[in-house]
Amino acid sequence: MEVLVTSPWVPREWIRAHGLEPRGAWFAQLDPSGALPEGVCAFAGAMARLHQAQPHAGIVFTTACDQMRRAADATASSGGKHAFLFSLPATWQTSAARKLYHAEVARLGKYLESLGGHTPGEEELMREIRRSEAQRAHRRRILEAGSSSDRGVPLALVGGPLLPSQWSLFDAVEAAGGRVVLNATEPGERSVLPPLPPMAPGQEAVIALADHYFDHAVDVFHRPNTRLYAWLGERLQARGARGILLWAHLACDLWRVEAASLREAFDLPVLVLEAHRVGTGGLRDRQRLGAFIESRR
Amino acid sequence: MRETPRQICLEEWDQRQATLARQGGGEPSYGGPLGRHVEREGNGRLRQLRFDNSTAALRLWNFLLTENQRLRAARAQGERLVGAMKDLGTVPVMAYALPRVRAFYPDGAWWTPCLMECTDRLLNQAEALGADATTCPVRAMLAAFQNGEHFPRPDLLVCSAGAICDDFSAIAQRLERLGSAVLWWEMPRRREPETGEASCALPGGLRAPADQVECVRDELRRVAIALGRLVATELTAERLRDGIQSANAVRRELQALRETVYAAAGAPLPALEMLIAEMLAVHFCSDRDESRVVLGGLVQEATRRVAARQSVVDETGIRVYWVNPVADLRAMNLLETCGGQLCGSDFMFTHALDLIPEDLPPLEALARTALADPMVGPVQDRARRIVQECRRYRVEAVVVSRIPGASHCAWEGAYLREHLAAELGVPAVEIEVPPVCDALLPALRTRLQAVLEIAQSRRRA
Repeated sequence: MEVLVTSPWVPREWIRAHGLEPRGAWFAQLDPSGALPEGVCAFAGAMARLHQAQPHAGIVFTTACDQMRRAADATASSGGKHAFLFSLPATWQTSAARKLYHAEVARLGKYLESLGGHTPGEEELMREIRRSEAQRAHRRRILEAGSSSDRGVPLALVGGPLLPSQWSLFDAVEAAGGRVVLNATEPGERSVLPPLPPMAPGQEAVIALADHYFDHAVDVFHRPNTRLYAWLGERLQARGARGILLWAHLACDLWRVEAASLREAFDLPVLVLEAHRVGTGGLRDRQRLGAFIESRR
Repeated sequence: MRETPRQICLEEWDQRQATLARQGGGEPSYGGPLGRHVEREGNGRLRQLRFDNSTAALRLWNFLLTENQRLRAARAQGERLVGAMKDLGTVPVMAYALPRVRAFYPDGAWWTPCLMECTDRLLNQAEALGADATTCPVRAMLAAFQNGEHFPRPDLLVCSAGAICDDFSAIAQRLERLGSAVLWWEMPRRREPETGEASCALPGGLRAPADQVECVRDELRRVAIALGRLVATELTAERLRDGIQSANAVRRELQALRETVYAAAGAPLPALEMLIAEMLAVHFCSDRDESRVVLGGLVQEATRRVAARQSVVDETGIRVYWVNPVADLRAMNLLETCGGQLCGSDFMFTHALDLIPEDLPPLEALARTALADPMVGPVQDRARRIVQECRRYRVEAVVVSRIPGASHCAWEGAYLREHLAAELGVPAVEIEVPPVCDALLPALRTRLQAVLEIAQSRRRA
């Protein structure tokens, strides 16, 4: 059974160890039609409709933002039987927040069992952890190798979910004379955890896994969101980014309001690109993008 | 001098206040003509409002409009100021349990653009600071912090994080980036306990998993330590217990007021004054003892009017339940102009109206109360409480008021309107009220009149 996951901060290994197939909701077949109420984030709206399109799949929402948790409410009220709302703590510096995250991972396990999954043994979970580690290592190698081309103005793409229907953004950037040297959207590089450190003797795998996710999640919703800035700061400098493209879904306050802080923190110009449900917007957006890149040559 | 209950304009109130003063009306230290708030503080919106003509209402308005002065005076006398953000009702209970501490909500600055009819330019300044018009009018707070012209900068800033509105969370984060340190505390999204899971009863008839209560209790303990450090005095369980009792005394007055007004055949007090009165529960308008006196005066007035079979609006007015506070106070007047009367409300902080349990360890009691916040749980819970109140107060129509830009309204507005209409069998309408709604008055009036006319025709049928 597939379990659609709407956030990179829900441990995939845990789902797979239960015998179920985790799938990033970013890659699901989203229905771009149908009106959304004014003010509803297009991504959250699409997630709320996912269970209708795939009623037999499980779907894990998170409390990363108000829009998403309310999308979970909407799913529940329209009869979504297989929906689960994972409480992602916004704070990250206290034992209470860590405990909350641990409890949610345990609760997720019970939910997975309710979908037909089985309680994983320690070795089973370790196997999935190793498998995910290998996949991440492969992704990290690709990212470290970078692009073979050094043509174009180096830019960072920072923001929320970037869906396959929106990948033409990369073409638009290149056509305008730029290149993306850092993809800090979801599920881009920002979603790739660092290697799991060796586990302490006697430590339970699920605890080590939960701690790893809890300690390395890098996102805008954290309070304070200093980890995001530290993570960005290192990479923006290392890759010589000359500007930031801020990818914010319509009605996504969490990312949009960061524009001014990003500008100040990194002394880089920021262009806010509003994420449309399909594609990368129209002529106006392309012209803005072109003008922005031209100004950074 | 008692007059027949009615709504009067600012000029009439000032004349009446002058007469009362000549007769030795005995106003509190912050009393006086309401017009001075226009002249001195630029609260020009008062000229557009219609006020209840009781001395209790005059006291309420003067109490509300002198809050910033009260905070500045407290600061001058060496008291410490705590800026509580977003939790609407929990942290102030803790802060007032300590000596020489006052807590207020900088969030309250969201009404400044309304009161000053945008002459404060706070919304423009907020936009320049990074929070544009796609966010809720609470962004005014950001500019108010920066220019320091409205409320004094608090000595400690505390903000709940987690299950809160995105726009508020983003604005508070921006505030911190601009240099105001924030003590963040986790507020998990409340959920239904699962089968067999240990759970606790919350005020308002809700339940939450024991784990969540424990999490909030631990977080509030951190807040308590920070508050204690502020005045080098430990916030002991005993102090907290006293603080809870005092907060409950205020809440009891408010409960009595709501019951008297909302259950009456004809509303003895107008919608606008009820909105302001309910706000007092959140942080006592920076004076806990006085807020109780102010509310007590309103209860007395409402009770007297009910006994005398007097109401401030037409007794035949359609009984309306109002969901969410309005960014422009004038919208509350509009309800009565259109033939409605306020008979129930959920202004987003019903957890601040419920009594805090006094038979539990105080931090546990506060944690349970905080978790009962209608905005941290599923909208279905909020709707359930609204349905109960609507039935209790024989409501005939529901108004769901959207706050422009607020992340929660986009989702819950439509659900509440549809669910409440279906569940209660009464007409419901969704409106959006910006900080100054003058330009939208015809449209707002039409929408309100439409829903009230439907209710009227149902009554006739």
